[in-house]
Amino acid sequence: MPQVPVQTIHRDPQLFYWILIPITIVMILTGILRHYATVLMAVTPKKQDLPTIREQRSLLRAINLRMNANAISTPSFNARKDYMVTALENGAFLKEPDKKGQAAPNPMTDPAAMEGMMGMMKGNMAMIIPQTLIMGWINAFFSGFVIIRLPFPLTIKFKSMLQAGVATKDMDPQWMSSISWYVLCIFGLQSVFNYLLGSDNAASQMAQQMGQMGPGAAPQMFGPGVDAYKQYQAEAENIAVLDHQYTLEGVENRLLQSVKV
Amino acid sequence: MTSSLLHPPAHLPPTVALQLSQQAPALLRSTPSAISPYSISSLWSAAESPELWTTYENLMLSCLRTGDEQSAHLCLQRLTERFGADNERLMALRGLFQEATAEDDAALKKVLEEYEKILAQDSSNMPVTKRRIALLQILKKIPESITALNELLDASPTDAEAWAELSDLYLSQGMYSQAVFALEEVLLITPYAWNMHARLGEVLYVAASSNEGGADRSLSESMRRFCRSIELCDDYLRGYYGLKLTTSRLLTMLSQGSRQSKTDTGLPPPDLKTVESLNELATSKLSEIVRRNASGESGWGGYDQSDIIAAQELLNRDSTPITR
Repeated sequence: MPQVPVQTIHRDPQLFYWILIPITIVMILTGILRHYATVLMAVTPKKQDLPTIREQRSLLRAINLRMNANAISTPSFNARKDYMVTALENGAFLKEPDKKGQAAPNPMTDPAAMEGMMGMMKGNMAMIIPQTLIMGWINAFFSGFVIIRLPFPLTIKFKSMLQAGVATKDMDPQWMSSISWYVLCIFGLQSVFNYLLGSDNAASQMAQQMGQMGPGAAPQMFGPGVDAYKQYQAEAENIAVLDHQYTLEGVENRLLQSVKV
Repeated sequence: MTSSLLHPPAHLPPTVALQLSQQAPALLRSTPSAISPYSISSLWSAAESPELWTTYENLMLSCLRTGDEQSAHLCLQRLTERFGADNERLMALRGLFQEATAEDDAALKKVLEEYEKILAQDSSNMPVTKRRIALLQILKKIPESITALNELLDASPTDAEAWAELSDLYLSQGMYSQAVFALEEVLLITPYAWNMHARLGEVLYVAASSNEGGADRSLSESMRRFCRSIELCDDYLRGYYGLKLTTSRLLTMLSQGSRQSKTDTGLPPPDLKTVESLNELATSKLSEIVRRNASGESGWGGYDQSDIIAAQELLNRDSTPITR
């Protein structure tokens, strides 16, 4: 098989100094800027007042009672069960006991929920604005340059990835355009930021997107728009039907069997 | 040394606390005095770590214990510089510092007033609420302290620490059934805490010693609690100690042939044979632990020396009538 002649393109070495390095430096600086912008814009979570804490922790107590009922004796459990079921069904632990029958408020009108959404918006803005600006800047100044040649051969599939903005059909995919270098920087600078800013930085967009996905996936227990009274009723039913067994039943025989002197 | 600074210093033996606070000036000099989260220099200096602030907090507590108030104040100052004076935890720490440096009861009362002022503004400030309860205990106002603790637990019933404290307070007042109730709440939150099982066993044992009427009921319950604590933690000295005490009492009671009433725990009373073998087991285990600890075998050294002495004493008490 005849050797494919190696493509050679004579580039101005200045391309290297005036495009590759500026893009890299700008990307690093934007990342650092974004990190500090996020730190500055971060709002401390709003403090909950006592009735809210009571509402949430009472439900947790009921759940604890159901999960760990085996640790206490049957009379103790029955006393607690009677108390808990009555209190939960009456809504005695609710923040506003008068409002127990009403539908959950619309999360859009709840100021506490709005605050959370604003925080999310701010985070998104800190990501979108710099990205748009820099993409525009790179497009305006550096589009259409071929800047480096990768030292290893690549298949034709990589052409669209590495040669964005350069519309030549026959060029070897080893050659890389400036816009592709920018895209590579977006994804590849994480370790640089880790080195500069510590591991829990907010510089990388990828990490931010991951973080937003995380808590959204977990079911929200006490989020806005969740009706605490409905949760109470469900929990009261769970406790009422629980079949109680006492761990201490026969513990002395278990112990005598398991411990050998 | 640093590792013990990262743990809450409440249960450190006095010698370790003294050692830590003696090293405090050197440690405080070696760490930078102020770390600002926004400065440019944080780009190349080491990032601040949560461990540093934990160290400061624990160091402050150790220093207050040993009377090194200067170092404690320095720790407090640095924490305040970083987190601001409005931080809940810092409010409590500052109050703790004032309590420790207070000369007399009048000064303590002033601190108490300060706490009440903070709580009037923000009733959900848990650290200060807890400090206020602790201060009420120091001022010997146990009933007020119990009331305040009950209010706290009404708002935050998942706080195991507070339930345990409430149980201790009730026990100090001789209100055993309330103390047992509070400890059962602790067990509902942490069902596998063997020390809590043992503690409940102890409270039940004390309750059984105090009232003779229902003694056998809470005594067998107490014995089962100790069994459970041993089941959860092998070679648990406190569990075996309690097991030996309870089974000895039960044996005398059963041999006297006192009428077994139906237990209010829903469990039948243990039969004589089981109690006997449990007593034998506890005796042999206790002597094994004491013997192995005394000979310094590896893996048997973690016991508190005072516990070992107490166990030895219990064994001696038992063996004296036989050798007579």
